[in-house]
Amino acid sequence: MTWLGFSAIGAAFLFFLIAPLVAFYFLKLKRPRLEIPSLILWRQVLNDHRVNSPFQRFKRNLLLLLQLLILVCLILAAMQPFWRSNDTDTRSLPILIDRSASMAALTERDGPTRFDLAKEHATSLIDALGTKDKLSLIAFGRTARQFTGFTNNKRVLHEALDKIKIEHAASDLTDALRMVEAMTRTAKFDQVLLLSDGNFPAQVNFKLPFSIDFRKLPAAGPNLGITAISAQRAGGNVWEVFVKVQGTEGVNFPARLELRQDGQPRGEEDIFLQNDREQRLIFSIGADQQTSLELRLTVDGFDSLGADNQAFLELSPLRPLRVHVSKSLLSYQHALRAHEQVDWNREGGVPAPGAFDLAITDVAIPPLNQPPTTLHVGMVPEDIQNLITVTKDSTAFVAWRRDSPLLEHIELGDVDSIDQLQWNEGVREQDLENHHYEVLAHGRHGPLILQKREGGKVAFFLLFHPDRSLLPYTVGFPIMTANLVTIAMKQADILEIRGDRAEVLPAMSLLPGNTYTIRGPRGFQREDNADADGVLSGVPAPWVGQYTVTRDDDVKKRVGVSLLRSQESSLAAFDRIDFEELSVTAGATSVKLNRPLWPLLTTIGLIVLLGEWWLFQRRPGKHV
Amino acid sequence: MESAPEQKSLASTIGPLRESGRQVTSLLTNQQLARLEQLRLAASRRFTNRSRGEHQARRSGSSTDFNDYRDYSPGDDIRHVDWNIFARLHRPYIKLYLEEEQMHVVLLVDASSSMIFEQKLLRAKQLAAAFGVMSLMGGEPVSAAVFNQAKGRISRLRPHTGRGSMRQLFAFLEQIEGGGDGPLEAGIDALLREHRGRGVIVIVSDFLTTGDLKRAHNLLFSRGLEVFGIQILSPTEIDPEMTGDIRMVDCETTQALDVSAAGDLVNIYHEYRLAYQRNLEQLCQQRSGRFVSIGSNDPLDNVLFDLLRRRGWVR
Repeated sequence: MTWLGFSAIGAAFLFFLIAPLVAFYFLKLKRPRLEIPSLILWRQVLNDHRVNSPFQRFKRNLLLLLQLLILVCLILAAMQPFWRSNDTDTRSLPILIDRSASMAALTERDGPTRFDLAKEHATSLIDALGTKDKLSLIAFGRTARQFTGFTNNKRVLHEALDKIKIEHAASDLTDALRMVEAMTRTAKFDQVLLLSDGNFPAQVNFKLPFSIDFRKLPAAGPNLGITAISAQRAGGNVWEVFVKVQGTEGVNFPARLELRQDGQPRGEEDIFLQNDREQRLIFSIGADQQTSLELRLTVDGFDSLGADNQAFLELSPLRPLRVHVSKSLLSYQHALRAHEQVDWNREGGVPAPGAFDLAITDVAIPPLNQPPTTLHVGMVPEDIQNLITVTKDSTAFVAWRRDSPLLEHIELGDVDSIDQLQWNEGVREQDLENHHYEVLAHGRHGPLILQKREGGKVAFFLLFHPDRSLLPYTVGFPIMTANLVTIAMKQADILEIRGDRAEVLPAMSLLPGNTYTIRGPRGFQREDNADADGVLSGVPAPWVGQYTVTRDDDVKKRVGVSLLRSQESSLAAFDRIDFEELSVTAGATSVKLNRPLWPLLTTIGLIVLLGEWWLFQRRPGKHV
Repeated sequence: MESAPEQKSLASTIGPLRESGRQVTSLLTNQQLARLEQLRLAASRRFTNRSRGEHQARRSGSSTDFNDYRDYSPGDDIRHVDWNIFARLHRPYIKLYLEEEQMHVVLLVDASSSMIFEQKLLRAKQLAAAFGVMSLMGGEPVSAAVFNQAKGRISRLRPHTGRGSMRQLFAFLEQIEGGGDGPLEAGIDALLREHRGRGVIVIVSDFLTTGDLKRAHNLLFSRGLEVFGIQILSPTEIDPEMTGDIRMVDCETTQALDVSAAGDLVNIYHEYRLAYQRNLEQLCQQRSGRFVSIGSNDPLDNVLFDLLRRRGWVR
């Protein structure tokens, strides 16, 4: 019998209970005595042919048969039978649950979200779990997280399932599959259940070592949402705020976009979607000081996703870029004169901490004194001096990163330098990367320009001195300086600001080493420490809303994060995922778990018990 | 047995007792007694004795009630000649009058163990007392027998006449106790061995016996006794409410009977009970008798003054 298995075959010894049951039945130990005046009439009744008909004889022993049936059902249930779904008794199945923002969309007005439906599906699988089946719950949004290992403990699985919450982020299916692939080293399985709405890239660069049962959740209703928000410096003290609102098919209801500045209404616009089902709006905001913008989308109809109806933007006060330039760097001083929004000074020594946005220096600056953007000129950083040697042989640029913001639109092919940088013996570019340096430009024998990002600060290193090269005499030099100014202005948030997405809070400059409490929507709260540079980074922001950073109940920062993902707001869903070697179509296969039969048997036993009670304990009808 | 002077003194105390408001007997209320004194048994066949009594016989006698005429024969008492007819027809006719004879009333109370259930015996004693009162007030000799012992033995009250015998009758009935397991027909046999006289036998019983009641009825009929059969059943017997598997125990024989799914058999039980009652009624009616079945919880007044009057048992 290959289609039926028993998880606890040892419970079969309970069949011996049938003997005492039959014995007790025929001994009728429990038959109540009833004294009556005479048995004459009852003897005649029992001799009646109707009472002795085969059916009545059967009915007389029906109690025994029903009791035997109940006992057999209970014993079989105790043996934990299951309907075998495959050749193996043991089955392990990882369940991937998509918890990205689009899963929070409602399938119908006042209906469940797609995430709710996914959890319902997982719940039904857990409830039907056989003793030899094991499940592992993995939720993936921005990243994948394993909530349980392979287990058949239903309580653990249910508790883990309750802990899985939606994330206002895009889903990264590849990350989830990589995690599952890693699990194949410790567990044997050949199928993975994917519960998702299909809102992820249709092309996934992953080689599947297992098959995927892609259960696509129902389509959501229409959705209108804010998919982009940014601000550009418009000259003077004015920010121009750009907002993009997108809608899906079926959005035919009126909507309004309300702008609030520091909690106060600032303006309203009606939304009229164009043919491309989007509308772009521009607001001009004066910003003499730090200000917070909040955009709220109000719809008069069924909007299936609410997370994208709110967006936040923190605007910095507009001011000139503060630049520190070493006295000796005359070429840079000259180049900076062409920039209006730059307030620069030339001083010797090192810049004071926090006093500048950009430093162009030919002397080493202690880390604490470094502004957000620094250009080190004519020097090799101390930590890599053992990797590179400076000689006085001439050199020239042979390759450079044209996609680097610093080197955009610059031609360096005709720039020669009499400072030659040369790799030391056995040193390779990988060694620089180990010190967090990135080579932007190569000379004949070694790097010429380096970049280092650390703690929200960016530093560029011209390993040669411009005064000993042709660089100041090329067209690229003022362009490079302008690029540097642009980078510094972006770093200082006085040129362009983009709305922060609900994944991770942006890095914040606070006091070094202090502990801060971060509170957010839906009761979010956690504590984090600022690093030695006073930067608080890596704080997760799973949900759209405003987060406050406090210390001793004193609010230090307010940051609003938004969804701002057109892919999520579009609620687009693919029925097919193309992996490297094969494609998976939604609903093409179905998960086959061993189906436990004990609930069915116990239900039958209960029904038989109730039937027996009704049959033998009901009150007789009154005689007329 | 009490002496004649004592009977007379007791009989004379019933009236004052009733007038004083004290209960004459525990079996019947004074009001019921007063109403019963106005009723008489209405026997259909009129089995009567030769001795004079208050019950009119079918043959001619010496009462004041006119019966018929016949031709004069020599030797007839000329005081009975109807002289008015003689004057008109010039022929002598003798005027005949109804004979009033005694009708013996026998009260047989079944006090076996099965009658102890649910006031059946009390109701039997009450009905026997009621029939006794009606008969005594009608001047009939009344005897009583109780069947409450094993092997068909009975206790008897010898025939008494007149209202003065009520106390003896009441005392006899009141002291009846239930018990015994003998069949009813054995009791009837024992009664007939000692009984003399024709009349009416009132049998108060549940008639739940395994014996041959047909033979007993034939014996009674041949001895000139008209059977008034009163079956008393308890509410449990009339409408049993039982379910599931039970073990029924006969209170008389202590025999057990296991019944499964008793709830399903109740309807069949009713069929057999009604058929048994029809059979008993047929046995009585074929021998000029009467039969009625009542419940032990039926109101006594309804039985005595409504049911029995409507059935023509009393008038």
